[in-house]
Amino acid sequence: MIPLSWYLTLAAVLFTIGLYGVLARKNAVIVLMGIEIMMNAANLNLIVFSRFLPQTRLSAQVFSLFGITIAAAEVAVGLALVIAIFKMMKTIEVEKIEQLKG
Amino acid sequence: MGLFFVVLSLMTLLGALGAMLLKNLVHCAIGLVLFFIGIAGFYLLLQAEFIAAVQILIYVGAVATLILFAVMLTENVIGETTLKGLGRNRWAALILSLVVGGVLIKAIGHQTFSAAQVAERVSTREIGRSLLTTYVLPFEVISILLVAAMIGAIVIAMERNKRMGE
Amino acid sequence: MKWLIGHLWLIPFFPLVAAAVIAFMKKEKREAAPFFAIGAILVSFVLSCLLFLAFIGIQKTPYGHGLSVHLSHYLWFVTGTTPEIVSLILDPLTLTMLFVVTIVSSLVFIYSLGYMHEDPNIVRFFCFLSLFAASMLGLVISNHLLILFMCWELVGVSSYLLIGFWYEKPEAAAAAKKAFIVTRVGDIGFFIGLLLLYQKTGTLLLYGGSYPAIFSHETLDLLKINAVTLPLFGGVILTTILGVLLFFGAMGKSAQFPFHVWLPDAMEGPTPVSALIHAATMVAAGVFLVGRMFPLLEGSGAMPVIAWIGGITALFAATIAVAQFDIKRLLAYSTISQLGYMMMGLGLGGYVAGIFHLMTHAFFKALLFLGSGSVIHGCHGEQDMRHMGGLRKAMPVTFWTYLAGTLALAGIFPLSGFWSKDEILLEAYLHHRPLYWIGTSVAFLTAFYMFRQIFMVFFGSWRGHGQAHESPQTMLWPLRILAILAVFAGLIGTPFLFGNPFRHFLAPGHHAPDPSFFVMAVSTGVALFGIFVAYLLYGRKPLTGEDPLLSYLKGIFILLQRKYYMDELYQNTFVKGANGLARFFREVDELVIDGFLSRTGWATLVLSRFNQWCDNFFLNGGFDRACDGIKGSGGQLRRVQTGRAQDYLLIAAVGAVVLYFLSRIL
Repeated sequence: MIPLSWYLTLAAVLFTIGLYGVLARKNAVIVLMGIEIMMNAANLNLIVFSRFLPQTRLSAQVFSLFGITIAAAEVAVGLALVIAIFKMMKTIEVEKIEQLKG
Repeated sequence: MGLFFVVLSLMTLLGALGAMLLKNLVHCAIGLVLFFIGIAGFYLLLQAEFIAAVQILIYVGAVATLILFAVMLTENVIGETTLKGLGRNRWAALILSLVVGGVLIKAIGHQTFSAAQVAERVSTREIGRSLLTTYVLPFEVISILLVAAMIGAIVIAMERNKRMGE
Repeated sequence: MKWLIGHLWLIPFFPLVAAAVIAFMKKEKREAAPFFAIGAILVSFVLSCLLFLAFIGIQKTPYGHGLSVHLSHYLWFVTGTTPEIVSLILDPLTLTMLFVVTIVSSLVFIYSLGYMHEDPNIVRFFCFLSLFAASMLGLVISNHLLILFMCWELVGVSSYLLIGFWYEKPEAAAAAKKAFIVTRVGDIGFFIGLLLLYQKTGTLLLYGGSYPAIFSHETLDLLKINAVTLPLFGGVILTTILGVLLFFGAMGKSAQFPFHVWLPDAMEGPTPVSALIHAATMVAAGVFLVGRMFPLLEGSGAMPVIAWIGGITALFAATIAVAQFDIKRLLAYSTISQLGYMMMGLGLGGYVAGIFHLMTHAFFKALLFLGSGSVIHGCHGEQDMRHMGGLRKAMPVTFWTYLAGTLALAGIFPLSGFWSKDEILLEAYLHHRPLYWIGTSVAFLTAFYMFRQIFMVFFGSWRGHGQAHESPQTMLWPLRILAILAVFAGLIGTPFLFGNPFRHFLAPGHHAPDPSFFVMAVSTGVALFGIFVAYLLYGRKPLTGEDPLLSYLKGIFILLQRKYYMDELYQNTFVKGANGLARFFREVDELVIDGFLSRTGWATLVLSRFNQWCDNFFLNGGFDRACDGIKGSGGQLRRVQTGRAQDYLLIAAVGAVVLYFLSRIL
């Protein structure tokens, strides 16, 4: 039987890797990938708790389903935005996209 | 069990690291697929078979494919990729990620969940039933969200094209 | 009718539906929009009246201090196994507010029909107005602090939308932004207060019935005994710190010193908006909040803070009002001053006095604002009182109603303002003499500046351009009704008729202080003296050219006219400070680093190598941009405004980590 904390630690490490990618990479597609990794790490936690905490067994699984759905929606819109930005600005380098200021 | 855990951990960690650190974008995407499959493996290990199936279908089947398409639409795949590297925030990002990771792991050390017993397996029937009874409202809302996202994605990606075509 | 008490949500429901319907209405059908809005608010008004009858009709169930409270609980969501209960409340305070809000809203809606008649965006206007009414009504019936906070913010949003209604005017857009941001500063305190309260008690329900709640004896005792340790302040009793934090929100919303700066600017909005939101209802929400939290605040260390802030605000704003020339701005400062009065009353423990003044003030201040709107309408958009005069003949209805409102505000016997102001002064007289004298001087100033306005606007000879005319009947009828309320509403709270029925209604258990004829005589005396002085300066001979007060007070008058330079102070400290700091860093960059690098060749080489080394090894993230700054662009502080999503995310993550560590320390 694997202890709960191992799973949680693994998920935390995965989350950290994803966060690093989101913050450090130049390519917008990779940034989106990083977000997916973070979401998956969170989802893993949900399923782990569904297994280890009996009172959450059903709700955690349903919640993780919703999480997966939202991630899918997010990646669809995110990639569409990346493509639109690429067509408009001829780059998907996040540091070159500087219009987000007053 | 222990062996499976170690193998899956290595798979997900390597996949995630590869996706975040490799230079070639296609390699990154492959690392991501590896990661997704590893996570699905964990779901199986935790006896959440339905979620594992959903994970494979949605992430490996749809999200990874979408990402590969996006890579190909925005980059010159075979030849030189201009954007392989890290941004100027790389060191700040590294330090911050490490701090966040440290905080998370420290918090796990503090956790007080009594994980003495293990919950029963959740059957797919149960999930389906609860989706249409207890969680019917969120279920409908999320369906609307998905439709909206789908339409939105098409509109965002199409609009420029049309204008260019004119 | 008992059924209605269980379905309180119906009251904000109708205006909300009206707002939604209007929002989706086609442009061609715009004539119908105002009638939808007016119909909805009238329904809410009728429901409130029915509720009142139902409330006094049924058997009272005592709660706490002998108050009768009716609650209807709903399950919001379940976290784990803990249900989060939200609930609606019907108690005398809610009923009072419901009555005030619905009646003033109804009259202002009807008035707007005339006032905004020619505006092409009248549909949008009524949509926002209905949204405002719905959120304000939701605010007063909510028994859960989080729901209350949501409605509080919704009220703020609709206020923002309405101040900036004529957004094509840059001043209006700026005023809307200012109002939103300044009140938000106060709301941060409010929100921290909510978090602290939830952390300590585990609930945000106010009255709980069978559920755990803040105003239950156990929780209140717990909050009164325990303390938190703060840096600089040491140990502070929880009720005190919570009271002060919640009061921060009230200060922002009710424009208390030093957050008062947004209210005068908010007068850029249409006048009905000023009357409804920035005089009668929304700005009173802060006072209402203090009243709502009164069981928690009572006896805590926050009360003196509230009383003094209120007193200072009252005096401060009244002195500024003396030197204003804009008819609406003068009323705005008067509103701030009166809100300070209410806060002072509440802070001195005069719960009934504060709420009573809130109610009477809502009537006469709405009347004055609508009257000023009528004046502006009649003078073709002129707002400067120096270009008015002699309107008594041209606008008789406006004049008489305005005079009624002015007398009520000045506190002349037996109009409504007299009774409510007197109760506050009585509380001050009994408990805190310095504040009593402040209050009395404010009473003098109030009478003075209001009659200065009356004499400048309605007496003397016409100094403006064109011909002034009386407003249409849709605008005059609300004025007449409000005038009746302004004159007679005070009678429900006099100690001489049926022994102050309002007090018995609002706080049955509270012991009423005995009326003091000394206080009444003094307040009437100073009010009459104020009117007399105003007559000497402005009434005896018509205004020609300069303000006579200017020649007597000179520098002080200018100081008051410029509002003690508060706006300039904020501009020069907070706004310029932030900019200056950014510039400072750039200068440092350019002079020190740039100069260093360009002048010494060899050193440059070494330094830049060193720099590069730093970059590559451990300082890259932090210093890289500073090195870019050498090229003359940024500086460290401008980093926060790079426009790159990634940088923003980085800063957000840093913030999360900092918050985590803060939470461990505190």
